[in-house]
Amino acid sequence: MYEFSTLGWVRHVVFHPFEGFEDLRWKKQGSLKVALILVVMLFIAMVANNRMVGFAFNTNTVKVFNVVPLIVQSVVYFATWVIGNWCICTLLDGEGTLKKICVYSAYALVPYIICSYIAVFISNFIITEEAIWFHAFTYLGMGWSIILMISAMKAVHQYSIPKTLVSIVLTLVAMLLILFLAILLLSLFQQVYVFVYTIYTEIAYRIRG
Amino acid sequence: MNGIKTSVRKLLCLTLAACTAISMSVTAFADEPYESYNYDNWDEAIPSQSAYTVQKTVTGADMGLSRLSDPADPLFYSEEASASLSEAKDFYVYDDKEIWIADSGNNRILRLDENYNIIGRYYGVTGLEADRCEETQDGAISTFKAPQGLYVTTSPTTGKYTIYIADYDNSRVVRATVESATELKCEQEYTKPEEALYTSKTFNPTKVLVDYAENVYAVVKSVNTGSVQFKADGSFTGFYGANRVEVTAKVIAQKLWRKIASNEQIEGMSRNVPVEYANFDMDGEGFIYTVTEVSTDTDAVKKINPAGYNVWDNVVGDEYTFGDHTDAVWDMASNKTYSTKLTDIAIDGDGIINVLDFETGRVFQYDRLCNLICIFGTKNSSADQRGAFLNPNAVDTIGTNVIVLEGSKTRNDITVFEKTVFGKNLHKAFEFFDAGQYVEAAPYWEEVIKRDGGYTYAHVGLGKADLKNGEYKSALDRFEIANDKDDYDKAFEYYREEWLRNNFTAVAVVVIVLVVLLIVKKILKKKGIKLIKRKNKKEAE
Repeated sequence: MYEFSTLGWVRHVVFHPFEGFEDLRWKKQGSLKVALILVVMLFIAMVANNRMVGFAFNTNTVKVFNVVPLIVQSVVYFATWVIGNWCICTLLDGEGTLKKICVYSAYALVPYIICSYIAVFISNFIITEEAIWFHAFTYLGMGWSIILMISAMKAVHQYSIPKTLVSIVLTLVAMLLILFLAILLLSLFQQVYVFVYTIYTEIAYRIRG
Repeated sequence: MNGIKTSVRKLLCLTLAACTAISMSVTAFADEPYESYNYDNWDEAIPSQSAYTVQKTVTGADMGLSRLSDPADPLFYSEEASASLSEAKDFYVYDDKEIWIADSGNNRILRLDENYNIIGRYYGVTGLEADRCEETQDGAISTFKAPQGLYVTTSPTTGKYTIYIADYDNSRVVRATVESATELKCEQEYTKPEEALYTSKTFNPTKVLVDYAENVYAVVKSVNTGSVQFKADGSFTGFYGANRVEVTAKVIAQKLWRKIASNEQIEGMSRNVPVEYANFDMDGEGFIYTVTEVSTDTDAVKKINPAGYNVWDNVVGDEYTFGDHTDAVWDMASNKTYSTKLTDIAIDGDGIINVLDFETGRVFQYDRLCNLICIFGTKNSSADQRGAFLNPNAVDTIGTNVIVLEGSKTRNDITVFEKTVFGKNLHKAFEFFDAGQYVEAAPYWEEVIKRDGGYTYAHVGLGKADLKNGEYKSALDRFEIANDKDDYDKAFEYYREEWLRNNFTAVAVVVIVLVVLLIVKKILKKKGIKLIKRKNKKEAE
């Protein structure tokens, strides 16, 4: 039983929200390569949502396109989620390793990614009166992914449901902390860089002059 | 794919636009002491062409005010009569023929013809009791003291040429008939209402307006319950069209404190009262437009119907913005923060609305649907450039020109703005556009786009024309440039319908093939036939 190809496992966990991740864990399956590809696809979905969605549905300002916020919203958020969750659950007797958390979380994002693509695709063929289709796919993907994510965290750490929910809330707090520290660090390094650069120019002028 | 294509195209457009903008700024040279701008559909200021340009400025000397101190002239008043305007507060254009100026600092009313030459001057009114009058060149007259506003009309009941003057320091509004070039005969005085409803201690009218039924409306200083309304016979009828209190965090906080505080504490608190409006004007249909000198959105410009109700106080009206779209602008040259302070409004015969911003010296022109047409004029601390103002006090239209009254200590004159070719095309285009004649408006929009490719309404207008002509694809492109989502959606609905009708066979074939394939697959699965044999890893091992 449960002999699937790598992609077959992705399909299995997506369509079996309650048992899928337990099976994945039991069979010691899940590919990091697929997980990373999924994260890249998430990023592409974000870009598509910004640039290729039907004009009438595009609420983003289209005058200037900046890719940095989209990278942050997909790749950086995902990375902080994985690290934050690992930090919290290591302390809370979770059984998941960093690699497993990464793989399981990425698998849980599949419905969101696919529904984003579908929503973007159909938004080019519908008018705002039929916006219900667009929103239906968006919310369907989101809801499904949230359920999968809870199930994934439950399976990877072997938690009860209440403990899973608590750990997820704590993870969100941890994410905030990590991002805060990262921004702090970045601005500090920027100061250091400016300082060094000023000294460099000063010296350069003196040598030349 | 469509998305990618359009974004590439957009990028190309942007680069091209940037290149042209850079090259143009080197060669093109504007006459005005400011750079014309307009707002796009993202509410961002973008450079535009000048729709109006300064034709001339008219000073007191140009008007011939020296005649007032020339004993040989019929308009002679006294040797000391000033030959220039002094802090003129308001003017009124009567029937595009005559301009009446309230020359507040010189306590007089001036009457100019359409070429800005003086044809009358009035220092007071005759026909009042002798003890209130003083002897002057014109005989016994009750003189004006700092008249701030006026309104001129032909009385619908008597047919006489009638003027209403807000005589500020005399605490009265005067209705007088124009008898000659020097004489106004008083018919009625409107003074401080002696009624309980009128709570203010003073009555200093600043602006005056009269409707078709000869009701008189006066904006009175420090009365914030609306304009004071009188009947023709001078009786007080009430207040008209008050502003609302703007809801800010401070107001809400005070409302909460009032619930807790004792009566003594409440007495000590400042009250939240609406701001009185600065000026008003009436359009051809009898609607009264008011402007309020506040830096905020609430009731900055209102259109009031005869019942005193703001007809723009609804979903449509809430989308209207007047003045600059920014809350406050910091000016680098003067190191000062400017915020919008709308001080005068003028509606011309075509329903075009001109709003004057005192703080920035800009005139904002709107069509009857409150679409921003153009912006012109600027503020200048020295006010020594044509088209720049220090104290712009009033705006009005005469014929196709817009005139602005500058009334500061150092400079007093009338600036006459005339339409450029760009402005003429804009007005023509908006005229058809507002009437829903989009196809007729199209050639004018083309002219507008030739001069300003970033003009939003031009793209909307051309898109609507395309829509009407059934050219849905180009309509879609136009609406996308203008960022007009609602019209884009409408055009897209037609475009999709047309596309489906033209390609129905292809679509139907694809759908049928897909359905057949699915059925075949199901049948095959049921019978256990595999078309492609999959390698089974476990078996291979």
